[in-house]
This record gives sequence, C-alpha cells and structure tokens, in this order.
Amino acid sequence: MENVWFLAAVWVGLALLATLFAIWFKISTALSEIVVGTVAQLIIGVIVGPNALGSSTAWVSFLAGTGAIVLTFLAGAELDPDVFRLKWKEALVVGLAGFVAPFLGAAAAARYVLGWDVGPSWLAGVALSTTSVAVVYAVMLEIGFNVTEYGKAILAACFVNDLGTVLMLGLIFSPFTVRTLIFVAVSVAAFVVLPFVTGPFFRRYGGRVSELETKFILFALFGMGGVALWAGSEPVLPAYVIGMLLAGTVGKDHLLIRRLRTLTFGLLTPFYFIRAGSFVSVPALAAAPLVFTVLFFAKMFSKMLGVFPAVKAFRYGRQETTYYTLMMSTGLTFGTISALFGLSHGIITAGQYSHLVAAVIGSAVIPTLIANALFMPVHLRPDETREAGAIATTQDTMRGKREHV
Amino acid sequence: MYRRILVAYDGSEGGRAALKQGIALAKALNAELSCVLVEEHLPHYAASISEVKAAKEEIDAHFRTLAKQARDLAALGGIDMETIVRQGHEVETIVTITKDGQFELLVIGYHGHSAIFGRIMGSTAQSIVRLAPCSVLLAK
Repeated sequence: MENVWFLAAVWVGLALLATLFAIWFKISTALSEIVVGTVAQLIIGVIVGPNALGSSTAWVSFLAGTGAIVLTFLAGAELDPDVFRLKWKEALVVGLAGFVAPFLGAAAAARYVLGWDVGPSWLAGVALSTTSVAVVYAVMLEIGFNVTEYGKAILAACFVNDLGTVLMLGLIFSPFTVRTLIFVAVSVAAFVVLPFVTGPFFRRYGGRVSELETKFILFALFGMGGVALWAGSEPVLPAYVIGMLLAGTVGKDHLLIRRLRTLTFGLLTPFYFIRAGSFVSVPALAAAPLVFTVLFFAKMFSKMLGVFPAVKAFRYGRQETTYYTLMMSTGLTFGTISALFGLSHGIITAGQYSHLVAAVIGSAVIPTLIANALFMPVHLRPDETREAGAIATTQDTMRGKREHV
Repeated sequence: MYRRILVAYDGSEGGRAALKQGIALAKALNAELSCVLVEEHLPHYAASISEVKAAKEEIDAHFRTLAKQARDLAALGGIDMETIVRQGHEVETIVTITKDGQFELLVIGYHGHSAIFGRIMGSTAQSIVRLAPCSVLLAK
C-alpha cells in the first residue's frame, strides 16, 4: 500500500479492533494486538499480498521501535525502589536464578533437542528467560498480594530477572569492538548523570503545556538508543536501565507517567505489538507444533529447576515456593522484544520467531492459570483483603446516611 | 419475613431493577438492606504495570460512582443502605457475602452480572440461584 495515510488508517483500525477484543474478552490490549496482527497478516496477506500490511515499512518500524523503547523505559520506571531496598537479597538471588536457569535451559533445548544453530539457540534462551512484571503485578493486585512482603518480593525478583534478560539481549549479540567500549562508557556516564539532572531540571522547567518532561525523556532514550545501535547492541537495554534509575523521580510523578502512557498505548505500542504479531507465521506453527511444546516446557522446567530452590532457600513453604516459581515463569513483553530483535537482525528465521512468540504467549497464560487454580497461598492474603476481596472495601463500605448527612 | 436483604448491583438495567425492588421490599418489611457491587477483573496478561494501574483506577472510579448512585437511590426511598465493593468472581463473591452476612433474601437482576455469553445464556443468574444459601429474587 503506497498511500501512507491509508496504511496508517489500516494499522490504527487494527489497533482499535484489538482494543475492542481486549474489552470484550477481558484480556490485555497487548496480547489482543499480537493476535490481531497475526490474523490480519494472514488474511490481508492471502487476499491482497504478503507485503500489503507494510510491517517492514520504515515509518511503521520506527513507531514500533519507539513503542518498544518507551514501553521498556516505563517497565523500568515502574520499579518501586523502596520494595527493592527491603528485599534486595532475595530479589537478587531469585531474580538471577530466574534468569540464568531458563536462559541456559531453553538455549540447550533449542540447540540439542530442536537442532537449532548456536545463534538462534542463544536467542531462544534470552527470549524465554524473561518473566512478566506486568502479568505478575495484575495477579498480585487482584488477589491483594501486592501489599504483602511476599508479593513485593516476587515483584522485585521479577525486575531483577528482566534486567538480566535485557542485559544479555544487549550484550550477547554485540560484536565487542571499540564501539562496545564507547557504548559502555557513555552508558555509565549517562546512568550516573541522569538521576541527578532529571529531578532538578523537571522541577525548574517542567509542569508546562509544552511537555518538556516527555521531550527530555525521549531525547535521553533516543540518544542512548542511537549509541546502543551504533555499537551493535539493542536500544531497549539503556531504556530499561534509565527507567530503573529514574524510578524514584519520573516513576513517582503519576501525572507524567499518565501522559507517557497516553503517548505509548495510544500510538506507539499498538504498532509494536501488531507488528510483532504480523511476523508470526500460522502455517509454520501448524506445521511443527512440537517445536512450540519443546520451547514452552524447556522454559517451564528450567524455571522450576532454577527458581524453586532459590525461593526455598528463603524459608518459604512448599505452596508459597511453587506459587512464587510459577509467577516467575510468566513472560510477555521482553520475550516478544527479544524474539523480534532476533528476527530483525537475521539471527532467527520467521518460523523460529513464530514458535518463540507462541511459547512466550503460552508462558503469559498457562503458569498464572495453574498458580491461581492450584497453588495460591490464600493464608498469606492480608486480612482485610480476604474479608473484603479488595482494599477498596474498607473505604467503600459505608452507610448511605453517613454519606448524605 | 425477611430481616436482612442483599442486593447485587452493577449499574445495568437488570441491576437497577434489582436495586429498586430491594429498596421497596426493605421499606415494606422494615428490613436491613445491603448492596454488593462486584468489581470486574483487571486485564489479564498485560504488557506493563501502567496498563494494570490505569485499568484499576478506572474500575475503582466507576464502582465508586455506582456505589454512590445506589446509596442515593436508597436514601431517596428513605432507606439507610450499606454498599460493599469487592473484587473477584461475580458468582463466588455474591454467594460468599450472602453466606457470611447471613442474608435472608438476595435480589439480583436477570441480565446484570453477565458478560457476552452470560447475556445470552443467563448463566451468572442461574449459578447464583443454584448456589445461594437463601431465597433469591430475580428482578426484571
């Protein structure tokens, strides 16, 4: 499609459709967008032509890439520094185990069971080593664990796990030249300076209609992303670290996060997730369902092997440990980002990409279902939550007369 | 006859019918009236915490408004009504509250608590009728 506005209308129309599906079926917009992207490519590809959706068009790639960078930044900025300080030892041990075990396990399964080459196998290891802080957070919030030390520890461990994934994605395929050294040096300098500069800069010039804060953040993300790309690394690596470092300033500015959210979810991430879905080949998935099965179970078993003993070492009971492990076995955003990185850099084929994305989506859904159905440590739920079903109850249970006096 | 009545309300047409009939019954029988509102689930498998937080804020605000509407309607009818907002599965939550609160009558709307399939099949209302520990009035 040559008319850029028609093509944009098609993409935004698909995003709108995905949002409606998300509302109707009560799933996340991201997951819905991936599925809509896959189905749209399948249908439009057959009817109009394989390139009709324009997933590889420069401007679509740019918007999708920006979506991945800003989404990663937000994911880093959502870290609660206080929680991490409280549980840093446990988060570090469990998070590292949650990253290393599936990274090696899934890579080994891809190499020795599926017979993939070395590069694709490492990429599979990275893509399946992730966890999903957002998936876990939604479960924690719904059950009430988000206010308990147990829930906070799980979330902090998830952040460490994802940091491991992002670092590995940024470095494992890096050529390690002088450029890599310069990238590391510039990153360290930026990571030291940004937390000191950002807060005072925003306080002095921020809070205006001109959206200075958003421009500043995008400038930092694009600048560091450019250096990362120049060095043969991945732009989401500095984005996640910058997000984590600014969690104490940007992360606590709810108004700014809300404005960034509007930009990200309204325009950018639909392009990212629909594009990620559009590269999934349904025929490739149907032709070799065992590949998906091997990858999915490789992630699950290696997570179990790594996370279960690490959690157990912090004296949790069997049920708590199993639930904790299953939560750490989830994955979505960084899994798809890693897989798309592999596809766009020619590390993996379209078929391998399709199986990886399917395994990532499977890991978003299946562990949470099993955990909540069979292993939920109900006794750890806070009293008011168990009594009330939500924290809101204590605030919202009131008598009419009191309200109207 | 009934001393403790619970109404399940979700802002839908059926829910409003249940609320109105609950208020009328409570007034006529001089019974205690409570109203439960069950918050829907957060989006499953979200891509970022921001999405989950935004959804939670929206849901909380929506149900706070509904709770106030319900209390206003009860106050207009001269009834002092307690509203309880809880999160969870609709059937499980309503049945649990009915049991725990030892309510003697549960008033629900026919279409009020159903999603797409529920709207067609009426499955939520049927499940509540089957599992509730007390009499159930299905308001239309």
